[in-house]
Amino acid sequence: MKLQFDRGTIVLMDPPKDLDLTAAPGLRWDRRVGAHRAPASRYPALKRWLLQSRAGFQDIPAPLSTPQELWLDVELRPYQEAALSAWELGHRRGVVALPTGSGKTRLALAAMHRTRLSALCLVPTRVLLDQWLREIGALYRGPVGCYGDGVRRWAPLTIATFESAYRHMDQLGDRFELVIVDEVHHFGGGLRDETLEMTIADARLGLTATPSRDAGVAARLTELVGATVFELAVADLAGGFLASFDSITLYLDLTSEERSAYMGLAALFTSAHAEFRRLAPNGSWADFTHHAARTPEGRRALSAWRQMRRLLAFTHAKRRALESLLGRHWHSRVLIFTADNETAYAIAREHLVMPLTCDISRPERDDVLERFRHGDLRTLVSARVLNEGLDVPDADVAVVVGGALGEREHVQRVGRLLRPSEGKRAVVYELVTRNTLEVGQARRRRQGLVVRRSAQL
Amino acid sequence: MLSADLLSYSVAGTLAVPHYLGEHDHPWLRALLDEHERFIGRPRRELEARLRDPLPCDSPPQKLGLAIRILGKLRPRERKSAVPPRLARAHVFGEAARTSAPRQTIWTMVAASLGVSREDLQESLFGDLPGERLVASPAQPLSAAELAVRCNLAVVQGMLFRATVVRIEIEGNTRVLIRHAKWRGLICSLAGRSDSGRATVELSGPFALFRNTRLYGRALGELVPLLAWCPHFRLRADCVFNGRRLTLQLGTGDPIFPSSSPRRYDSLLEERFAREFRRLAPGWDVIREPEPIASESTLIFPDFALQHRSDPTRRWLLEIVGFWTADYVARKLALYRSARLSNLILCIDEQRNCAEADLPSGARVVRYRRRVDAAAVLRVIDATTCPR
Repeated sequence: MKLQFDRGTIVLMDPPKDLDLTAAPGLRWDRRVGAHRAPASRYPALKRWLLQSRAGFQDIPAPLSTPQELWLDVELRPYQEAALSAWELGHRRGVVALPTGSGKTRLALAAMHRTRLSALCLVPTRVLLDQWLREIGALYRGPVGCYGDGVRRWAPLTIATFESAYRHMDQLGDRFELVIVDEVHHFGGGLRDETLEMTIADARLGLTATPSRDAGVAARLTELVGATVFELAVADLAGGFLASFDSITLYLDLTSEERSAYMGLAALFTSAHAEFRRLAPNGSWADFTHHAARTPEGRRALSAWRQMRRLLAFTHAKRRALESLLGRHWHSRVLIFTADNETAYAIAREHLVMPLTCDISRPERDDVLERFRHGDLRTLVSARVLNEGLDVPDADVAVVVGGALGEREHVQRVGRLLRPSEGKRAVVYELVTRNTLEVGQARRRRQGLVVRRSAQL
Repeated sequence: MLSADLLSYSVAGTLAVPHYLGEHDHPWLRALLDEHERFIGRPRRELEARLRDPLPCDSPPQKLGLAIRILGKLRPRERKSAVPPRLARAHVFGEAARTSAPRQTIWTMVAASLGVSREDLQESLFGDLPGERLVASPAQPLSAAELAVRCNLAVVQGMLFRATVVRIEIEGNTRVLIRHAKWRGLICSLAGRSDSGRATVELSGPFALFRNTRLYGRALGELVPLLAWCPHFRLRADCVFNGRRLTLQLGTGDPIFPSSSPRRYDSLLEERFAREFRRLAPGWDVIREPEPIASESTLIFPDFALQHRSDPTRRWLLEIVGFWTADYVARKLALYRSARLSNLILCIDEQRNCAEADLPSGARVVRYRRRVDAAAVLRVIDATTCPR
């Protein structure tokens, strides 16, 4: 009998006829190839079951480990030590939730260093791919593999973007014992979950600043990575390991022309949306857009919704407020966040500040961040690129002109300011237009910053 | 791959029926192409802004969105800028961070330092961004009919992107299809034969055993252009749309635009044999790459089926074993031995030195040197009553 890794699954070849496989974890009969097959993620359980059954079998080749001597020491802060212990106590499975800027990557490095397991680190973007490669390279002297941004290079320690891992896990799934998932909240919702089911790695560590509060997603994530084993919020660390910050909301008005246009669009949208709510009280926004796209009235409502968003993205009052804030913080490092790229470019032209968007090439982005670090640029404007994970040099003022993604986005954005330094007190300005949908959006997105449950061991 | 809102189909029972663009769509497609042509050489954002407003004639919004998307895939031209945009940004934003001078002064200073006018500098600043790229004309003139079939292909591929398993009853071009499927990591198994004797091939990925995964949707969608070149096919795909399981059916004659044509013959040897056999035996059909045959847990593909036109029971499968490695030949012969075919003709290169014991029992063997003698094959056929 033999176990064989086959494109993200484990195939059991030639089992003895007297072995009852009905209780074997994950195994199903695959009539296409005439053999039993299990998802690769069930390999550890299947192997344990075969050993307990005292059935002799030829195992799949063990992944290579990383030699200890190639690692430099990884020092941790006390809360990082506590998080790592919680993960170890959870049998090397689970999610650690720490605020942006609190050193999640360092925690991941310590997990790799201490376990010496071959590890695959998954990151959501190409920018983060580079950042992880740099950080690992500073503490590990061996070769580091990379999957993403046109590169396919394997090593016992490998970094891959989510997209590349999804595409190549059929080849990579049997090569690692530990999987680390940065921004793990992207998983659990069904999209690309197979990535984590197609690897044999028993040890799994998920990292996030914004764990999902959806019970279904959390349960699925528990299956894929493990339960949340440690959690701290911004407020737990602000003033100590993270910089303190003030959050200031500036409520602004629309001009009479803007208000008139907004009211017209809102009426169009609201009538169609209210009708949908009457028909489907529990329908989601996706259900509404699907429903609305089928009728001319619905399409007009969707168009009105988009125009409302465009109108609110950069109103006359926001223009004046931004002008004033940039003047007041002329000597500070300022990050401006917008709802979309169009607004980011409009601000870039109007205020002559560098935009950092997905359209700007990676070498130019690196160059821009380096100039920001040295003070040659003091203000950046971005819609989404700065939201997640990117190690932004020491900024101390943020101006949120608009946002589209709610609580999670806001927590990530505020996190950009929290790198601590002597006497630092950061400030976050939110520009919110009165009596519009922005008021509710702003209230909801701030909820992510309140104190959550602390460490749970 | 297309987003769900651009997939135009209706549901009939458990079937998802794609809404193909046809002749009735040509008037608005022509209007769209005219608009596109009008904007050639202008920034893409201007075309995008124009197309947010209605066309001069009625156009179904979903199909229009699809056609705009397909047109948008035509590669735009880079814009020529007076100053490389990255350099312009470095200078303008760097200067703005250094000095508190009024913005107009900054533009003037930087333009002077780069030796260009202020207007040229302002145009260069974001000249490389997607919306600033210039609308390009297609490599070949695109008609409304061609745009329609390109849209249809995109819809079908978009629907297959949501497929978990595909079954194809197929005749001809099978090898190209299966080769591509295997290269893309799909499992190909023989799911049965139709009354007409055509094989049904089932294609799915290893992980499809456990869940309705989209993991293989892209690979399954890539098969469609290859199908368009099969003399006959019928495809059924199990798809999941918004959590609902539906079946997509495609068949010969559907308006699906093909990619480039696959090569008809693998080698000159095969091409010459087919030509000579047709000349010598006008009463016989020579079918290139007929249905695959299951052997062990894989599929084998004879090179030809030779079938008498008035008596289809007189049907022979012919395999040319040519200039391949010894391992390959041994594996191929083992598969044929295992398949136990009674109507197989093996044409074996004399240089292969195959021992009689290696050959499948019951197979008729024609040895050849440099060219397969069609007359020798015909003699074998005439001398034998086909046991099929």
